[in-house]
Amino acid sequence: MDSQGGALAAHNPIQIDPNSCIRCTLCDWVCPGDIIYKEEGDRETLPVVAFPDECWYCGHCESVCPTDAITIVFPERMLNNTTDVLTLLGTIEPGDVPAMEG
Amino acid sequence: MSDSVIRLETDVVVVGGGVAGCMAAIPALEAGMGVVICDKGKLLERSGSVGGGVDHYLTVMETGPEWDTPDFLLKHIPELTDGIVDMEVTDRVVREMPRVLRKLEELGVDFKDPRTGTYDRHRSFGLPGAYHINFDGTRFKHHIGQRVRRGKATVLARTMGVQVLVEDGRAYGVLAFDIRAGTWYYVRARAVVLSTGDVNRLSKNASGLAFDSWHCPYNTGDAQAMGYRAGATLANMEFTETTLTPKGFSTQGLNALVSLGAYFLNRQGERFMFRYDPKGENARRAVLADGVINEYLEGNGPIYLDCRHLPADVLDHMEETLQIDRHTLPAFYRQKGVDFRTDPIEVSISELSIRRSGLYFRGSGIAVDVNAESSVRGLFSAGDSATVSGGIAGAATLGHIAGESIVQYLKEPRTLPDVAAGELAGLTAAAAVHLEQPDGPSWRAFEDRIRATVTDHAGVRRTEKGLRLALDTLHALGREEANLGAAHHHDLMRVHEARNIRLNAELLAEAALERKESRTGSAHRRMDFPGTDDEHWRSFVLVDRTDDGPGVRTLPARDPLSAAFPRSRQQNGG
Repeated sequence: MDSQGGALAAHNPIQIDPNSCIRCTLCDWVCPGDIIYKEEGDRETLPVVAFPDECWYCGHCESVCPTDAITIVFPERMLNNTTDVLTLLGTIEPGDVPAMEG
Repeated sequence: MSDSVIRLETDVVVVGGGVAGCMAAIPALEAGMGVVICDKGKLLERSGSVGGGVDHYLTVMETGPEWDTPDFLLKHIPELTDGIVDMEVTDRVVREMPRVLRKLEELGVDFKDPRTGTYDRHRSFGLPGAYHINFDGTRFKHHIGQRVRRGKATVLARTMGVQVLVEDGRAYGVLAFDIRAGTWYYVRARAVVLSTGDVNRLSKNASGLAFDSWHCPYNTGDAQAMGYRAGATLANMEFTETTLTPKGFSTQGLNALVSLGAYFLNRQGERFMFRYDPKGENARRAVLADGVINEYLEGNGPIYLDCRHLPADVLDHMEETLQIDRHTLPAFYRQKGVDFRTDPIEVSISELSIRRSGLYFRGSGIAVDVNAESSVRGLFSAGDSATVSGGIAGAATLGHIAGESIVQYLKEPRTLPDVAAGELAGLTAAAAVHLEQPDGPSWRAFEDRIRATVTDHAGVRRTEKGLRLALDTLHALGREEANLGAAHHHDLMRVHEARNIRLNAELLAEAALERKESRTGSAHRRMDFPGTDDEHWRSFVLVDRTDDGPGVRTLPARDPLSAAFPRSRQQNGG
């Protein structure tokens, strides 16, 4: 089976630099997918990317980060994609379509 | 579930705090009404499809030329929508556009080009005039969301609506839950707005990543599903939309590229789009996607987007504005190691969405009348979840119409129903049952099966046999969905999204099976009925919930969709 979601589990597209992150919670607040979690009011803990395979690659977190601590890293299957576009265009068997007249 | 339910009483509850929902809230707030607004996002200033920004806005402005008038645009809309559009609602939307544009400017949106101090207007997507304002809309949603917050709306952030409450054909509230804290809300309201956008995560794309989608993957047809379950009529569900994207990354940005003069080339280096439309790359989006699909099917792939011929100042402008619609697009090209100034970019079609079939003004979803009210009284919809939609301008305008209509609707005093005390716990327990079975099947695998069958059998090439196969799979998934497991409330949100996607896919297949013709290119291509049949099929396909599943019927497209509403039949003595 084509497992779209699970296949990316290993790839975390939201890279957070612990040295420049100031633990401010903005990335957590702007993420439209509820995938970044940062404990509020805690100056120690880093934001956690809890559901990396649910990332839209929108970059809201990267754009809002006050110290540019976040970098969006695209996985190989997006950068150098080898999918045959024909596989996205539907499965039609010869018998599925009545022969046209003429 | 032992969780107690927080009860809120208000005038208006809005589910979905994007452009349409916020614009619906504003007139109600201005009229001094109570508004509760639920959104799955945390900040109204950033939530919704264009929370990160937008780079174009479609509008008439009445600046003098004939093309810039509502009458001129309206005259062309039947042709632009292949004859299937609710002209009564579209007429009101187009006429309200200049007023809503001014209102957005009052809210702080700056549509002008800072280089010139004027509106940078472009002609694209087959429209008969330069109706698109290209602008830096990075903070577009910020202004709208902030107005709602300042208007003292109660914002239920990170909250997902799951059910509209209806009694005697009239909506009176919403059930929703907080996706982190798990708190349940019963918002009892005199009017309900559903505005959660389009339907994504519906079919496969090149990357195979479900959340890599052109439009917001967190828009999962929640409004359409909630509306349908509550008895609202849906229409145009058979029409899907796809766009052209850099292969491997389903992203926005096509409008800017084609309006600035980019070409499409096939593997032979031929600029082929004129074979599909005399307007070439300025054809409607549905035509552009269809041209590329045909080239791939005929063995002329890969297809490339080519900007190399453009003058340096246009390329500079392109580069400066590339990130407005999708912040990460420059990083994608950088990490990929391509430069659109010197390299043709390989393109793919994106995954499908149920939105508005690559056209303006023919929306797919909850059928609405000129007041943005659905067939269920007191239940309103706007934006991409409604049957008249047109990007952010359509969402803003119909949303504003919904808000003003609600102010009128609420002038009539009515007794508001209530959920019986014992019943409420049962409703929330049913919706939260997935938390009781955390080891149940995963929504991820469930969704993969939806995407596989939609892609193979209900996507850009359809047949009766294929659509029936898709329905068999979707019905089987429907029987399994109560077993899906959720480990926490975030997961519970995804389970409800997956269920909503499945329902929307089923309605798509049912409507596509009914429409025995092809129309609007790959938006609805029946390989077994390849021609467009205006004699029999210049009609809307409507779907309604019945005791036996979706009931499908048709309505001549010369009628407004509201002609099929029960209140219309009562007025006509029918």
